[in-house]
Amino acid sequence: MSILEVNAVKKIYTSRFGANQIQALSNVSFQVDQGEYVAVMGESGSGKTTLLNILAALDKPTSGSVILDGKDISRLKESELATFRRDNLGFVFQDFNLLDTFTLQDNIYLPLVLSSKSPEEMSRRLKVISEQLGITSILKKYPYEVSGGQKQRAAVARALITQPKLVLADEPTGALDSKSADELLRLFGQINANGQTIVMVTHSVNAASRAGRVLFIRDGEVFHQLYRGHSTDNELYQKISDTLTVLATGGERR
Amino acid sequence: MKKGLYGRLAWMGIKKNRKLYLPYILTCIGTITMCYIISFLSTSDVFAAIPGGDTMQSFLSMGFGVMAVFSLIFLFYTYSFLIRRRKKEFGLYNILGLNKKNLALVLISETLMIALLTIAGGLFFGVLLSKLAELGMVKMLGGTASFSFIVGFDSLWRTAALFLGIYALIFLNALRQIHLSNPIQLLHSENIGEKPPKANWAVAVLGLLLLGGAYYLAVTIQDPITALTVFFFAVIMVIIATYMLFISGSVTLCRALQKNKKYYYKTNHFVSVSSLVFRMKRNGAGLASICILCTMVLVMVSSTVCLFVGAEDTLRNRYTRNINLDAAVSELELLDGPQTDAVKEAVSRIVSENGTNIDNELEYGTAGFAALMQGDELLCDPDIYNSVGSMADMRQVFIVSLQDYNNMMNSSEVLQPGQAILYATDGASYAYDSISIEGGEPIEISKQVESFADNTIDDTQMIPSLYLFVPDFEQVVTPLLDIMYDNTGIVSLHWYYGFDMPCDDDTQMAVQEQIDEYMDEVEATEEQFAYFHVLVEGVASERAGFYGMYGGLFFLGVMLGLAFMLAAVLIIYYKQISEGYEDQSRFDTMRKVGMSRRDIRKSINSQILLVFFMPLVMSGIHLAFAFPLIRKLLLIFNLTDTGLLIAVTVVCYLVFALFYFIVYRATSRSYYSIVGGLRRSDD
Repeated sequence: MSILEVNAVKKIYTSRFGANQIQALSNVSFQVDQGEYVAVMGESGSGKTTLLNILAALDKPTSGSVILDGKDISRLKESELATFRRDNLGFVFQDFNLLDTFTLQDNIYLPLVLSSKSPEEMSRRLKVISEQLGITSILKKYPYEVSGGQKQRAAVARALITQPKLVLADEPTGALDSKSADELLRLFGQINANGQTIVMVTHSVNAASRAGRVLFIRDGEVFHQLYRGHSTDNELYQKISDTLTVLATGGERR
Repeated sequence: MKKGLYGRLAWMGIKKNRKLYLPYILTCIGTITMCYIISFLSTSDVFAAIPGGDTMQSFLSMGFGVMAVFSLIFLFYTYSFLIRRRKKEFGLYNILGLNKKNLALVLISETLMIALLTIAGGLFFGVLLSKLAELGMVKMLGGTASFSFIVGFDSLWRTAALFLGIYALIFLNALRQIHLSNPIQLLHSENIGEKPPKANWAVAVLGLLLLGGAYYLAVTIQDPITALTVFFFAVIMVIIATYMLFISGSVTLCRALQKNKKYYYKTNHFVSVSSLVFRMKRNGAGLASICILCTMVLVMVSSTVCLFVGAEDTLRNRYTRNINLDAAVSELELLDGPQTDAVKEAVSRIVSENGTNIDNELEYGTAGFAALMQGDELLCDPDIYNSVGSMADMRQVFIVSLQDYNNMMNSSEVLQPGQAILYATDGASYAYDSISIEGGEPIEISKQVESFADNTIDDTQMIPSLYLFVPDFEQVVTPLLDIMYDNTGIVSLHWYYGFDMPCDDDTQMAVQEQIDEYMDEVEATEEQFAYFHVLVEGVASERAGFYGMYGGLFFLGVMLGLAFMLAAVLIIYYKQISEGYEDQSRFDTMRKVGMSRRDIRKSINSQILLVFFMPLVMSGIHLAFAFPLIRKLLLIFNLTDTGLLIAVTVVCYLVFALFYFIVYRATSRSYYSIVGGLRRSDD
């Protein structure tokens, strides 16, 4: 059953006074099933970030629709958006976006506090997640006191603690060293194995090769997609590399 | 490199950062305008001719000095906000190939532009408004103003030189900051990670205790003399306590709130409390300074306004009658005899010669001395009362004959020898049945009264007075005249004579002058040991000097109050703006995590509200507790109208709060546009 449906989404940015129009997304359609792990790849300027912003309801498509769990998020009112994001989406960003005035624990609590959960409920949920992510011992620390990998794990915990329908990750390994990146990707795999749906935008072939499916975006369209099938991570890695080469050398759509 | 580039870069920098530069430039213009006006008034020839003008001008010259020092500190401080924001831009220029020397040239151009703009603007407004200020001052002094328009070139030059100097210093400081840093630092100078502040219970509690102590001192103080010394202690205690509480107390409070999970984990409290911890760490000292500044402004303005508004009352308090004669005499017989009759006769002659008559006469003699009141005993030995630290038990004792009392009060009290009527000016009633002076025979207190004829003595004495009205004046006073310490008698004998006249000030002054002349003649013929020395005081002649002094204080109070207020709100504006830039990314994250725009706006509002109004509220509390102390101090200036003081203080506070509120609105709007507006363009 598909949890996310993106139908013919188009996004045109108009500069002030309408002098210039820039088409960021021309026609994007795809579906994500419940429990799927999808990576979206593409060059800079291909429209990945625009797509992610639209999925996150931070931006509205010019035309087309985005349906999450039966609800068209492009039709939501501004006042409903914040609640919708909080309850249905989890975010993991490249630069962590942890608030430096909060301890890691409070950072993770933030979305729960916004949905007015009781302190007991919050600490119960945190206990489970922090153990799973291995951050129990550093919860009382401030972001500036811990490493990048630890920060990103806290950010993942923040994304997961609301038990969202969909986790959106924007270059989650972008600011990490390779060891921390591998560790994070392993966690993503684990979370996905527990049934969590994940959509991840990335440059990194390594990161994409852990996903169940890889979408390639070029010039604002879904250019190609790869299914893992029964391939191992390494085989998928190879396939992605090949596709990127074709993309870079200007191959025609299959 | 092309000529004119530096100028263009500087101009672009100012234009691009107008949110920061505009308030700075306006403030500079405002301070320069004020400096010019003060300087102009302090040197203007117009006042030299008006009575009291010289007093006022000496106050104003002092004021110019204060303004100069204040402008330097204030502009220096404000500019440090600007340069911090500009560092990034300079870093970029540096990387693009401008070396430090080039940057210095850009800075010079910028400084020159600002200097030119503000000095020209400030002096323009200064000259424009100086006439208005002059007219106001002349009116205060009760003179008549000419309508000629004068430009004080001396003052123009003085003010311009002062501010050129200030700008030069600011420029050198900016140069030092640019010079000390490298390009990467310049680019990233805004984001330096900071440690979370720790709660410091000890300091917070100490601050509370200090504040409580200071308040206690201020409220419980009884006599004005002690008030004067206590005032300084209390002020210092309050200042220290304010800093402690703002810096440490606030953080401690936030930490305590964070420990309370039920309170802390609420949408409204969560974000506000945790950012407040950091905000207070960075701004505690600044907010404390603002709080103290506000309090100072309010105290200064309300007391000077009060003095000025109450000047007429004060005059009447200080000089009970239009003309007052105070004769210090050497012999008891002189208090009521041919001497006093001669004086009265002469005065009556002079008054009628001037075509007016005597009204509302007042006449009595006193034997006065200072004493320490111990239970029902009065001790006169200076060694004893100097060794007692507190002035609270000191009394000015005046012995007055019952006959004078009955005359003055239109009463017909009858007492036996050895009895007395007692009047204590400290408001408290005397607790014993009798009183003895220096171990002498106790005098029985048959009655206590609430008043005695208005007289100049009560109000000029900072020590409470004790009046004893006795039927046997000579018998009571004679033994006292023999009491000597260090070869000096303790008792001084005075004869008071005062009266009103239904005539204008000029006639009153003429009468006073003639009485004075007559007295000089009389004194010249006196015998060496028995003296009868008269001091003649008149309201009319004192009025000009009074208004000169109080008008000058008033004008300075208002001017400095205005300047300080400008400083306080501008500092707070800059704090908010610079924090807006820092908070931008924070609120961006919160939105992504699911905080709605409305929640963000609410959180911003509550934070700004708190940061803004905490100093105002705190200074209001300070003011309320300082009130009894201020009242006591103003007693020294003979101002006794408590109602007036309350009204003036409240009005000052409200005006200040209104002004503050306007700035708050402007600030929160800019803050929101920084935090909310730029995010849009990121998307």
